[in-house]
Amino acid sequence: MTETTILVAYGLLVLLTILLQVLGSLQTLSMGYLMSARDEPREVGRMTARINRALTNSITAMALFAPAILLLVVQDKTTPTTLLVAQLFLVARIIYLPVYALGVPAIRTLAWLVGFAATAVLYLLAL
Amino acid sequence: MSTELTVLTLAALLQVVQFLLYAVPANREIGPGYTTSPRDRPPSRPMSDQTARLGRAFDNHFQGLILFTIAVGVIEMSGQNSAFTGLCAWIYLAARVAYIPAYAKGLRPGRSAIWCAGFLATTLMLLAALV
Repeated sequence: MTETTILVAYGLLVLLTILLQVLGSLQTLSMGYLMSARDEPREVGRMTARINRALTNSITAMALFAPAILLLVVQDKTTPTTLLVAQLFLVARIIYLPVYALGVPAIRTLAWLVGFAATAVLYLLAL
Repeated sequence: MSTELTVLTLAALLQVVQFLLYAVPANREIGPGYTTSPRDRPPSRPMSDQTARLGRAFDNHFQGLILFTIAVGVIEMSGQNSAFTGLCAWIYLAARVAYIPAYAKGLRPGRSAIWCAGFLATTLMLLAALV
């Protein structure tokens, strides 16, 4: 396993989140509305709204994580430490999604914090 | 430059075009007085349905683009470029171009089908990086 594999796995996790968002929206919204241009906003269920927020957060995290990995690989600065930190990021983000969907308060914040800190460390190691 | 990198550059430029397609009519409709303000309150004049659709299409492409960027970046870094990944890249770009008029016109289910094509192309590229 390399940092690149972790990045691929995270990309697939975000794609899965998007799929869950679509499936969750179908619980309260009709397929007809989803396929329309959605000119009037409509409410989704509580868990789907959480998945929406988790997705927005995951996209932000990805926009920061992906360049860090690219910087490490392009500069040939990958080490066992960077791999471990990248793995830590992935695990934290995997935990983040169900914990947000289920509304577990402190653990979600903790998982977010671990992912955030791991990204910051990767940038420091890329310097 | 590889096919995938060329398409990635074009996709990023498409986002610049999408920004203009949204920002120009939005400024005309809600006024630069509002758009240049800190936007503490919602605009007093609503924007048209079509402009709001172009705005949502623009937002949606940010999500698509960052996933596609990862797919291309990983393929390039690991040197796994193939005719298949090149084809996926072109399908992604074609879908994202077609998505804009499909959203603006409110095509149903065309817009969703086109979105699915781009989503699938990205997924297949990411999976291709793993095998």
